[in-house]
Amino acid sequence: MPLGSFSKKEHVAITTLGLEFALAELAGGAAGLWLDKKWGTSPWLFLLGVGLGFVLGMYMIIRGAQSLESSQNNAAPKEIKNGHH
Amino acid sequence: MDITESLSHHILDHDWGITLGGFHWPVTTHSVTILAVSVVLLILLAWAARPHKSRNGRLVTALLEEYVLFIRDGLVVPNMGEEGKSLVPYFCTLFLFILAVNLAGMIPGMKSANANISVTAALALCSGGLIVYNGLKFHGFVGFLKSFIPSGTPWWLVPLIFPLEVVSTVIKVSVLAIRLFANMFSGHVALLCLLFMIFMLGQTHWAAGAGSAVPIMVLELFMTCLELLVAFLQAYVFTLLTAIFTGAVIHTH
Repeated sequence: MPLGSFSKKEHVAITTLGLEFALAELAGGAAGLWLDKKWGTSPWLFLLGVGLGFVLGMYMIIRGAQSLESSQNNAAPKEIKNGHH
Repeated sequence: MDITESLSHHILDHDWGITLGGFHWPVTTHSVTILAVSVVLLILLAWAARPHKSRNGRLVTALLEEYVLFIRDGLVVPNMGEEGKSLVPYFCTLFLFILAVNLAGMIPGMKSANANISVTAALALCSGGLIVYNGLKFHGFVGFLKSFIPSGTPWWLVPLIFPLEVVSTVIKVSVLAIRLFANMFSGHVALLCLLFMIFMLGQTHWAAGAGSAVPIMVLELFMTCLELLVAFLQAYVFTLLTAIFTGAVIHTH
């Protein structure tokens, strides 16, 4: 199985990562557009918002991967756990 | 045939509300669907929860017990532990409500209210409220704020990590709403687009329309079965993810 021994819960967590990444950038871009219209700074805050959204998306993916890895380590035998850290 | 108009007629919500004393009281297809589903569920479940003497009545009771056990032992306890047992009624309601609203869209003349982002956003807000409530209940205000900072974070990174974690929690809850909305909405759009294909081909030549009708209707049947599966799957995923997020707030580290 390509996904290894992930549980059902972890499968669901993996499927949400993509949508979370997309939504983070969309939310950042939307916030930037709104502030641009309000303050007349087009297009700088929009670009900044998309950039921040990208940072947030990457952060969420890394955190998601970390939590998956730690739950895999908890499930695995001890010698593998020691080998990782 | 105007396809855009027809699509919007079948997919979008329609308001036939009344204006009384300068205030508009909205009555829409989706709100009527939600109310109808709620009333039907209330009546059916109130009847099913009564003690039954007959064989069929006992069968209904056993079926309901099986459902509640599935939510408790399959969704709530594995993700939230023993602390989540008091929340089983909420999850039972959530699953059955989403499923019933999804399935209502399959009945001719009715529309799935979950194809409206306001409805799914309200459901996600309820789940978000549950997450915040449990964080405050189990850890207190300061403990709840602290739970946003992952263990082992250096102190100088805290001002950077804290807003990221708060926003990412908000996004996780928003994703719940968008996933349910997008799945229900796209299913209806795909079904309608397939149907319109018959008429579009028929406009070029009547034989093309007639010849394409049978294969497209077979495809339509397949898509309807797929949508039936999605109705169950999305209700399950929404409930499961709410349980996972709430469990993550209760057991922080």
